[in-house]
Amino acid sequence: MTTTFPFEADAKEDELKAVGTDAVRIDGLDKISGAAEFVDDIDFGPGLLHAAIVESPHAFARIVSIDTTEAARAKGVVRVVTGKDFPYKFGMYMEDRYIFAQDHVRFVGEQVAGVIARSHREAVQAAKLVEVEYEVLNPILDPKQAFEEDADLIHPELADYTHVPWFFPKADTNIAHWRKIRKGDTEKAFAEADYVLEDTYFVPRYAHCAIEPHVTVSKLDQADRLTVWTASQSPHTQRHLFAQALEPLGFTHKDVRVITPYIGGGFGGKAGVSMEILGAAMATLVKGRPLKLRWTREQEFYNTYQRQGVTAELKVGVMDDGTITAVEHKLYWDAGAYVEYGANVVNAAGLSATGPYRVPNISNDSLCMYTNLPPGGPYRGFGYSEFHFGLESHMDRIAEAIGMDPVEFRRKNAIVEGDELSYGGHMNPSGMIEAIDKVADAIEWGVEEQSDNPNTVMGKGIALFWKAPAMPPNASSASFLKFNEDGSINITVSGMELGQGYLTVMAQIASEILTVPVEKIRVETPDTDRNPYEWQTVASHVTWSSGLAVEKAAVEARAKIFDVIHQVYGYEDDSLYLENEKVKCKTDPVFEKPLSDFVIDGIQTDEGTWRGGPIIASGKFMPEFTNALSDPETGQGGHPNVHYTVGATGVVVEIDKDTGRIWVRKAALAVDAGKAINPDLVKGQIVGGLVQGLATVLYEDMRFDEAGKMMNPNFTDYKIPTAFDIPDEVVPIIVEVPQPDGPFGARGVGEHTMIAAAPVIANAVYDALGVRIKSMPVTQEKVAMAYLEKSTS
Amino acid sequence: MNLELKVNGEQWVLDVAAADVLLDVLREQVGTKSPKVGCERGDCGSCTILMDGRSVRSCLVLAVEAEGHDIVTVEGISYEGMSQLQDLFISNNSFQCGFCAPGIVLSATELLELNPNPSRHDVQEALAGNLCRCTGYEPIIDAVLAAGQGQGETP
Amino acid sequence: MIAKEFEYRRPTTLAEATQTLAEHPGLAMILAGGTDLVAWLRDDVIAPDLVVDIKDIPDLSEIKVVDDELHIGSLVTFTDLIESETIHEHVPLLAEMSETVASPGIRNRATMVGNICSAVPSCDAGPVLLVYDTTVHLTGPNGDRSVDINDWFTGLRETALTDDEVVTHLTLKLRKHGGVYVKLMRYAGEDLAQAAVGIAAYPDNEYRVAFGAVAPTPIRSARIENTLHGNELDDDLVARTVAMVPDEISPITDMRATAAYRTHMTAVMLKRGLWAARQRLDGTGPAYGARLV
Repeated sequence: MTTTFPFEADAKEDELKAVGTDAVRIDGLDKISGAAEFVDDIDFGPGLLHAAIVESPHAFARIVSIDTTEAARAKGVVRVVTGKDFPYKFGMYMEDRYIFAQDHVRFVGEQVAGVIARSHREAVQAAKLVEVEYEVLNPILDPKQAFEEDADLIHPELADYTHVPWFFPKADTNIAHWRKIRKGDTEKAFAEADYVLEDTYFVPRYAHCAIEPHVTVSKLDQADRLTVWTASQSPHTQRHLFAQALEPLGFTHKDVRVITPYIGGGFGGKAGVSMEILGAAMATLVKGRPLKLRWTREQEFYNTYQRQGVTAELKVGVMDDGTITAVEHKLYWDAGAYVEYGANVVNAAGLSATGPYRVPNISNDSLCMYTNLPPGGPYRGFGYSEFHFGLESHMDRIAEAIGMDPVEFRRKNAIVEGDELSYGGHMNPSGMIEAIDKVADAIEWGVEEQSDNPNTVMGKGIALFWKAPAMPPNASSASFLKFNEDGSINITVSGMELGQGYLTVMAQIASEILTVPVEKIRVETPDTDRNPYEWQTVASHVTWSSGLAVEKAAVEARAKIFDVIHQVYGYEDDSLYLENEKVKCKTDPVFEKPLSDFVIDGIQTDEGTWRGGPIIASGKFMPEFTNALSDPETGQGGHPNVHYTVGATGVVVEIDKDTGRIWVRKAALAVDAGKAINPDLVKGQIVGGLVQGLATVLYEDMRFDEAGKMMNPNFTDYKIPTAFDIPDEVVPIIVEVPQPDGPFGARGVGEHTMIAAAPVIANAVYDALGVRIKSMPVTQEKVAMAYLEKSTS
Repeated sequence: MNLELKVNGEQWVLDVAAADVLLDVLREQVGTKSPKVGCERGDCGSCTILMDGRSVRSCLVLAVEAEGHDIVTVEGISYEGMSQLQDLFISNNSFQCGFCAPGIVLSATELLELNPNPSRHDVQEALAGNLCRCTGYEPIIDAVLAAGQGQGETP
Repeated sequence: MIAKEFEYRRPTTLAEATQTLAEHPGLAMILAGGTDLVAWLRDDVIAPDLVVDIKDIPDLSEIKVVDDELHIGSLVTFTDLIESETIHEHVPLLAEMSETVASPGIRNRATMVGNICSAVPSCDAGPVLLVYDTTVHLTGPNGDRSVDINDWFTGLRETALTDDEVVTHLTLKLRKHGGVYVKLMRYAGEDLAQAAVGIAAYPDNEYRVAFGAVAPTPIRSARIENTLHGNELDDDLVARTVAMVPDEISPITDMRATAAYRTHMTAVMLKRGLWAARQRLDGTGPAYGARLV
């Protein structure tokens, strides 16, 4: 099949030169030579000030008094600030958060005061001198406890909070948002089902663990311009929220500038605004001086967004032939003390909590519960990783109960193009069945493997995944493109190079259309003054959305190039085409004009005058078919999601029966990229995402004590994978069923690769040992102790 | 306190406090920014430097301990172009965000000095203290193995 | 960044070092590899006024055999042990243990003597040194003295070392043996021991068995050693010793592992370790460095 593309009528799938190739990344030399500059690496000269934050030791307390006298007198201290200095709220989707705590603290680590000093050491020492008196309250640490009718209220003023129209907070409760989906008649379907399975699954909180901690440098200059250098996935969103929150101080958007150089990993943790607003606000009090605030690794764990925990109550009904007839999924999210971003995770999960299946009768309740734990937020997978654990465990159990092969059961029920979604729309084209078959094939599903070690047994597991970008319906991207004298190109966008290879992919898209080689294209990191708008680099949407903006800019540039040629030589635009950095003409095979001849200086006419001039272009994309308007009681009527990316994961594990140790001998992951702009980078997402996902199921988790304090805020006790902790073999499989509205058919894959990692391990453990672990993580300890109990009872 | 040390071949005389760690002094006084601040307690490896040829966590060394020692960072091995190992990291896309990359390049450089033809296990062992959250390590291990084979010694 | 400031001295003789320590009773700490000390300074869990760096004192970095004793200086790092031919020839178990300690960047600095001076319950060197006739040699203002390793660990993070003393070296009596160090970690990468077993099998069915991370200090089990003593290893004997494990250790439940799992795993590691140690004594069994769990 030959695919054509909306903006590139000439391009044929089999003639692509840049798109679809394993182009070498354009940021390689920067990053491997040590040249790459991250925020903390930028020099700000001798005037640089340092900030340290005073944090709440209590999960829930009323602030009785704050005494900053001693701290203000300490050596090197320039200024001490408290909530009184900034009585302003902020929030991405719901404004439920103050810059510094006002009268209450709601999690351990919440910022109560800040110290600005001439050195980092002086700031930290002085912060210890701030005396805060608290009246300690009883914290709520569990979402189901928060849901109880007589539970204490964490946010008594919830009813007054400003929020996006698609959130439904319940006044005088701890429910910050309740996403409901009601479709068909689940009661009737369960009554008529041949088999119904109901159970509860538990998923704890997780940390992103980007190796670069959050860091921000802010400076309000004497001309009242606020510049903020941040390690952020969301420069424009940050500028917007800074301008909004600090509006009482007189700031407008044009006064606020956010600069984001390379960032050392994000995974959702650097989306939105978290600690950066502290630096931005404090800097307004020390005019003319840049102010640095860098989180320690400990703060990185307990005072940035965390992946929310969830208690998932799941009920699924099937017929004897394996047809799923009903799903009832109640998700109680431990959303934390502030849900300004996390509530949208809850929303996204609620819309899609059936998983990638065709289900006629649905009842989903996704409940965003305030708790006295750190604020929840986005993390690679955005709610889907969380609910897939229970869902895909459940599907295996149902298949076994009705005597059906788990792969066959999934093939039978997998959602395909045109099937109705839970909110009423229709499924986009997808390669789910191909993904299932290829993964099953890669792990030799159905072939039993024997270990030659008497202590170990082998097992296999499979799990499916899907995910849609979770965005406001009008989230948009834009790009500027300009040619240089030698025919090279600079592109400015405001998507972030998080490591995924975004800059390279943007260069490949422009290269394909303009025939300029990738290595002659520079794509710049964002500066909100100079780069055009991008909503955020989240939701696995920038290849698709920003890619479309770059494609449009390249197409516009090409049109301008052809227009110059037409003006000077008279060839009709539609007879012109680009090849190897030259303009050529279908009707005049002899004609060729190198781009470097004219993209800046133009072309001289016979009369000696000039035509053309610098070729510059812009492009933008906003999905114009989405809306978030739906009935709050049923979730029906809107079109909240642009499309879903789907796939399947399979593993072969070896497990030591005595120790519970799990070795992933082989893992296969197939994802439908629509079109892999750069297959090597897609494989990078597959391997990296899979390893990150496997860690969440095998050993990672955040532990809190009974007072709500995180006990393992370091890599000594929050283990993330090392070079030893990877599968022996990963088989990356790219499926390509084009997304009709994607750039060259592409859709995002960044988050998806970790979504099914947890259930696939749980299923393989069951296959190997016959024990079903229903709470994450599935540690060697849990496996060993469960197997011990099973084999001794 | 007075501190004399060599950084990337250049002799430095600095004034430091006893409590200053080498990582901060390299970054803030010498201006060598490739060793990164990742965890400050020896867990993540992003501050890795070579000290007299051996990989060391510069966050766990007091600056004053470096008196008279020879320090090398990624900047130091990049002055005269990329090493074969660095070239392989680039051509193999063996990085993503790049924050851990300087430390990983140095740990791998030490390994190849000691063992020009390492096994996969040797490479994993050499890199086990350098955390990378992006790549899943596969492309990194591949590049180091390729660099090892490039040196031509049989195991 | 270390917030609290302190003084730093770098003595060049042992006498100068011990005198400096004696002049600052309770306020000074010794710095060798620094991988514990600097991390604790940064974490603000210790606050010495003075740090005494002993790395300029000569002769503390030696690994040598003198008569029938192995001598290991207090500045010998885990990397030195791994790379030492003397160690591989005489006590390869020390290299096997060292390879489980953290990662190369730590092992290039961290010293084995520092490990037993920090004396955390999970210290890797503890259960290994306990299965040898190990002596800790110290020097102080009043001269030199030696402490049997069995008397070294006196409590949680406490040792026989006094404020004004410096460890100069360890000695281990060399005898034919097969050794094993089995360490439970939460994953394959670097980790602290969640439980650990050190075993040495000597000729004539003599065994030493020690445990790590299952009591406030590394410990030996006389009861298990006596049960094994003089008997040929067989399944029944192994089963009987393994059954004693719960009474011999006192593990805690913490965020790293439950007491029940630590107990279960100590038994599993003892079982596998006994066989491997016995086989290594005979020159068979898994090569040193092989992981048994």
